[in-house]
Amino acid sequence: MRCLLAVATVLILGAAPARAGRVVIEVVDTNGHPVADAVVSLAPMPGTTSRTIPAATRYVDQKDETFLPYVTALHAGDSVIFRNSDNTRHHVYSFSDMVKFEYMLGPGESSPALLMKNPGNAAVGCNIHDQMLTYLYVTKDPEMATTDAQGRASIDGVNDGQYRAHAWHPQLRPGVTLPIQGVTVSEAAPATVRFNLALLPDPRGAMDREHIGY
Amino acid sequence: MSRFRHAVAAIAVCLATPFASAQDVKVHAYADLRLTDAANDPSFVNGGPGRLRYGSGDTQARFGAAALVVTAQFTPALFALADMQLQQTDHASPQLTEAFLRYRPVSLSAWRASIKGGLYFIPMSLENEGIGWTSPWTITPSAINSWVGEELRGLGVEGREAWRGESGTLDFGGGLFRHNDVAGNILAMRGWSLSDLVYGVGGRLREPSDDGTREQYAPFQSIGGRTGWYADTGWKSTNGLDVRVLRYDNGADPRAYRLYADGDKLFAWRTRFWSAGASYVTGPVTWIAQGMDGDTEVQPHQRTLLTHFQSAFLLAGWNRGAWRPTLRVERFRTWPSGERGRALTAALNWRPSDWLRLTGEWLHVDATRDDRADAGFSPHERGNQLQLLARVLY
Repeated sequence: MRCLLAVATVLILGAAPARAGRVVIEVVDTNGHPVADAVVSLAPMPGTTSRTIPAATRYVDQKDETFLPYVTALHAGDSVIFRNSDNTRHHVYSFSDMVKFEYMLGPGESSPALLMKNPGNAAVGCNIHDQMLTYLYVTKDPEMATTDAQGRASIDGVNDGQYRAHAWHPQLRPGVTLPIQGVTVSEAAPATVRFNLALLPDPRGAMDREHIGY
Repeated sequence: MSRFRHAVAAIAVCLATPFASAQDVKVHAYADLRLTDAANDPSFVNGGPGRLRYGSGDTQARFGAAALVVTAQFTPALFALADMQLQQTDHASPQLTEAFLRYRPVSLSAWRASIKGGLYFIPMSLENEGIGWTSPWTITPSAINSWVGEELRGLGVEGREAWRGESGTLDFGGGLFRHNDVAGNILAMRGWSLSDLVYGVGGRLREPSDDGTREQYAPFQSIGGRTGWYADTGWKSTNGLDVRVLRYDNGADPRAYRLYADGDKLFAWRTRFWSAGASYVTGPVTWIAQGMDGDTEVQPHQRTLLTHFQSAFLLAGWNRGAWRPTLRVERFRTWPSGERGRALTAALNWRPSDWLRLTGEWLHVDATRDDRADAGFSPHERGNQLQLLARVLY
């Protein structure tokens, strides 16, 4: 009987939902201005059990000869689909070490789902419109978010525990060690992560009626 | 009709035929009106000794220029562009300033190659990156790029290879061209100018005249039938630095000539130069610098006349959203003509909408040139030109 009670106790405790908290993210540049499109991911430290995130499919649109969004964060195992919402053709391609592909997309067409197997990042361009540029960032970390125009993001439902937060942005100097900081997540109060990034100039070329980009 | 015009007509037909069937055809255009307060010296546009576009000290509203740029993407790798402009010189002059085909297949490695053929600008300007080879920074480009717009073009073929790395893109290329044998003539005969006039096929450059005659010539023609070349390399870093170096040699036979303008001889000018330029972005400020050093030679009647030319400028543009104040300083000289000068240009650009550009520009030039005395002017030229421009973009 005692043994049965002990097993029941273990099962009940194991089935109980883990306590979860909120992580608030803020990213600024060296002048204190908000940084949009920064990806912040959280890797659990030993002893912290992270939640399992199911694989998802993300979309990268092409509208007004611009990739939307500029940065797409994915988990390893997620897929990405490129969609052409312009009335002109696009030739989407990447020659990155992480993934190489090319898709010719007519108006209204979408690419097949492209599986992102490995972590890393990839610059994606259009061979017809050289000024178009977007980035894929793939991580093994279970928790991640991308900052908005105010340089802010948040992640809800993060299991309590200790994490190591990484920040990535396409305009970080190539080869630079990614900024890292520890964060403790608790149900009691939101944890705040603040990164200060030194960024290179925006590599996207100006494109308007004066800059026709040929 | 000259062979060059035949060649350009053939290119136009080659471009126009598949244009109709191309999936992606785009039309871009601009036209501008401007209020100008001119410098006192009569402009070179009217055969005068003044090196600015507008002269004779008058103030008036004018039509400046209009351009129609048509592009077509025939296949994912094959692209075409044609640029027709209407330039207001001493008369309204329609011209074909560019018409080329470019083949650039996609590459899934860091290396990407392309070839281009037709009539096109030699890749040396970091300043004139706007529609119809205009400058988005000022109305009037630097003396260097004013000359590029006047005399440097050719019917040619260019090959280019780019290596795209994490830290930047290294590219190098080169081209062979013809029909640019007169390049250098205007620098020797008139000297440097500061003007946004862009010439093309159909355009005529006017030489300075001290007796009121109207001597003009087509700047892009073959005299002597030789082939010129250029080679260039560039490094565009992710940190905002863009550096380019180019060597040009039109290969012209300096003894060859063609009769024009009442039996005068228009000689081929053997012109060679180095051009080096860089742009750098520091926060909201873009810096552009370019220098040119070269010479041009002609050999009429067994004599050799050699003109050396040099110019350099530094431009700073402050990118403040729709507003863009710009300041440019430059120096130029040719010798043995005794030409030496400097210019200061201040512009305030405002883009209240995507289809409209409003620019106010003040240009001050201070220069000397010995042969101004032949036209009864002091060798010393000091002038100010003020322009208020409204450019509609499509």
